[in-house]
Amino acid sequence: MKWIDIKAGFRDFWDEFKRVRFGLFGLILLFIFILTVFINPYIVPFPEASSRWRDITYWEDNPVSAPPVWVNWFSSTKRAPSLILKEHDFSEEKMGKIKLARAVFEYEYPYDLPPLDVIFHGYAKGSPVIMLSIERPDGQIVELVRRPISKSDGKDVRVSIGKDSRIESYNFGVKYEKPESNRIEREMVKPTSILFSEAKEGILVHPAPLKGVYKLIIEIILPAENDAVEDIYFTFSGGVSGWLGTDSSKRDIWSGVVAGVKWALLIGLLTAFTAVSIGVIYGVISAYLGGWKDSLMQRIFELFIGVPLLPVLIVMSAIFKPNIWIMILMMSCFFWVGPVKTVRSMGLQIKEETYIEAARAFGASSSRIIFKHMIPLLIPYSFASMALYVPSAIVYEASISLLGLGDSTIVTWGQILHDALTGGAVINGLWWWVIPPGLFIALMGMTFAFIGFAMDKILHPKLRTR
Amino acid sequence: MYWKYCIRRIIYGFAIFVVLIFIFSALFNTTMESTLRSQIEEEIRGETLKLDTRMTPEELIRYIAERREFKQHLYHLDKPIWSRIVWRAINVLSLDFGKATIMRSSSGEADVWTIIAECLPRTVLLFTTAIFINIILGLWLGLKKAQKAGGLMDKTTSIGTMVVYGMPSWWLGMLVIMFFAYTIGIFPSGGLHSIPPPTGFAYYTDLLRHMALPVLTLVLIGFWGSAFLIRNIVLGILQEDYIMAARTRGIPERKVLYGHAMRTAAPPIVTMALLSLLASVGGNIIFEGIFSWPGLGNLYWISIEQNDIPVLMGNLFVTTALYIGGLVILDLIYGFLDPRIKVGGKQ
Repeated sequence: MKWIDIKAGFRDFWDEFKRVRFGLFGLILLFIFILTVFINPYIVPFPEASSRWRDITYWEDNPVSAPPVWVNWFSSTKRAPSLILKEHDFSEEKMGKIKLARAVFEYEYPYDLPPLDVIFHGYAKGSPVIMLSIERPDGQIVELVRRPISKSDGKDVRVSIGKDSRIESYNFGVKYEKPESNRIEREMVKPTSILFSEAKEGILVHPAPLKGVYKLIIEIILPAENDAVEDIYFTFSGGVSGWLGTDSSKRDIWSGVVAGVKWALLIGLLTAFTAVSIGVIYGVISAYLGGWKDSLMQRIFELFIGVPLLPVLIVMSAIFKPNIWIMILMMSCFFWVGPVKTVRSMGLQIKEETYIEAARAFGASSSRIIFKHMIPLLIPYSFASMALYVPSAIVYEASISLLGLGDSTIVTWGQILHDALTGGAVINGLWWWVIPPGLFIALMGMTFAFIGFAMDKILHPKLRTR
Repeated sequence: MYWKYCIRRIIYGFAIFVVLIFIFSALFNTTMESTLRSQIEEEIRGETLKLDTRMTPEELIRYIAERREFKQHLYHLDKPIWSRIVWRAINVLSLDFGKATIMRSSSGEADVWTIIAECLPRTVLLFTTAIFINIILGLWLGLKKAQKAGGLMDKTTSIGTMVVYGMPSWWLGMLVIMFFAYTIGIFPSGGLHSIPPPTGFAYYTDLLRHMALPVLTLVLIGFWGSAFLIRNIVLGILQEDYIMAARTRGIPERKVLYGHAMRTAAPPIVTMALLSLLASVGGNIIFEGIFSWPGLGNLYWISIEQNDIPVLMGNLFVTTALYIGGLVILDLIYGFLDPRIKVGGKQ
């Protein structure tokens, strides 16, 4: 079979494929999936999700178990979303040797429920003193934190208003409460809910939101010439966060789910490709050789048929603790039996064709006949069954990961669901943690099912609708 | 000769099982033995605690060494590796799976076989019920689809088949629990029965209530596929000449469908039902863990969580036996329904 034949064959196939509408839809979906792998860094807020999924410091600014941002659209109480605030006015003053820097961040707050925490970030050199205060829409200025930095060549500074300004916020709020009303403990108050509430009675117990523009003011005293605080910004960990919310370990689920796309594609395509290739070659060789070799190969094949796939994979994963590559290899070792039976019977038919006989008469070797004259005819069938094996490979990997036996250096949808299950997402109704990963598994399965069934329809015209 | 075919097929299935057990035994030999060794150490420690306290330390050391040697001999650990593999495989074939390290059966026994035998009927109950409902619904929908192939109903439901094609059943199970057990709260979220289990007739209604959600999930995932397969089977048959002949003779369409087409379609449909039961064992079994349905699939979860290797291995052996048994039964039924099969080649 020459290249031009393959090209012509492919064009014919494509002409037929174009007419199957759901097949085209599947191709479009596949294209979108592949596209997300390449534009991954531009569509997720946490592009390192794939490599740092289990690194808690990477996620520490996020809220715990926050629902997705768009929940606000359907809810009457609007919660402040997570946000990174970088824009600010910066001014510097010199007082003798000491410099005084001042940065003002404006924060628009039109919501009903305040962010859970507001965190200041900066990169400090030397030994500056950082002072943080907030100017509320009613004009009051609350001084929150004063943080001297011990001398350093440069380190990250992180000031959390929620943790580091309990006393200051409490003192601000307690002025408005009547002394006899039952006060709540100082340790119990949430600083942000005091700071973003109207200054009136009940601010500690039943705060009413004060909407408007807040000014977060950072004042930095720089005692020496080279001292500086750079890259300053605020992160708000909101009551709603990201497109798909966060899980109980503060991880952004959208970032995780998108990071899972490439692993799912890899697992599915690689397993399907290896397994189907082995299966097709095995089936054809078995059919071509015939005689006792065929019988022997069929006995080995039947041995593999007798293996209950998932239980064996589970036990192997539990005992050998494989990484993802070994897992793909393990799956391929058992998946190859799928196409063998069909391929063998097709091979038996092809073997009897006259051109095979002619090739043999010319003295072509067995391997030449198998690889040059028989397997090319089976390529369309191979592709159709490959497409249909991709979803099962993904589901098998997900099932193993669901049991907690997955490769812990990567992030797959099955692992996110494992965390959801052990993190009590089902019991606590954290639907944004359960639905998206499984939906992506189902979507990916659907994509390849569309493509596979479309090819199947072309290859088996008998079942075509009348 | 149907019974000859039967015997041959059964022996053949058994042979495959034996070979697989040997392979598993060799594959997991190291892990099994390290568990066994630590179990022996545990037993010896227990024995020394009960000993006479007047023994000198030398005597004690000698005693421990003697006991260790004895036990290792008992469990064949002093033999060469191939004989240990054979010995373990033979043990498994005689249903001796050893003792569980942590897990116990409901009556408190540590015997692995007892633990597994307890779970086996529950798995069978759950999956057979689900497949039964599946096939009924699948037949109903599949026949409709085949009758008007290419129609709106056929197209939309075929899309449905593809939509659920790669959907993990356990994920749908999680959603179903979230909705029916926690949001609406009309069904229990899991387990076999309420605690304490009611007696008499109430026991069965309680069991049904607990079965509702897992069965619903399995049916929701499964029946699209069976409908699609049944459609393809029936559609293939409807294009045969004898169907056309029956139609030209003026036999009513209902009769053609049920009398002529269904008779030919029966063997593949039965096969399909059994195959999907087998597929559940081979690919769906951990689904039980989501519903805490205490069957074999749930046993995988627990034995992995508690790192109980003997139970895990025993479970694998039983599942394999079940699976191969299913394959054999499938062939037998198929041979019974379709006489062409059992002629078997060269005779």
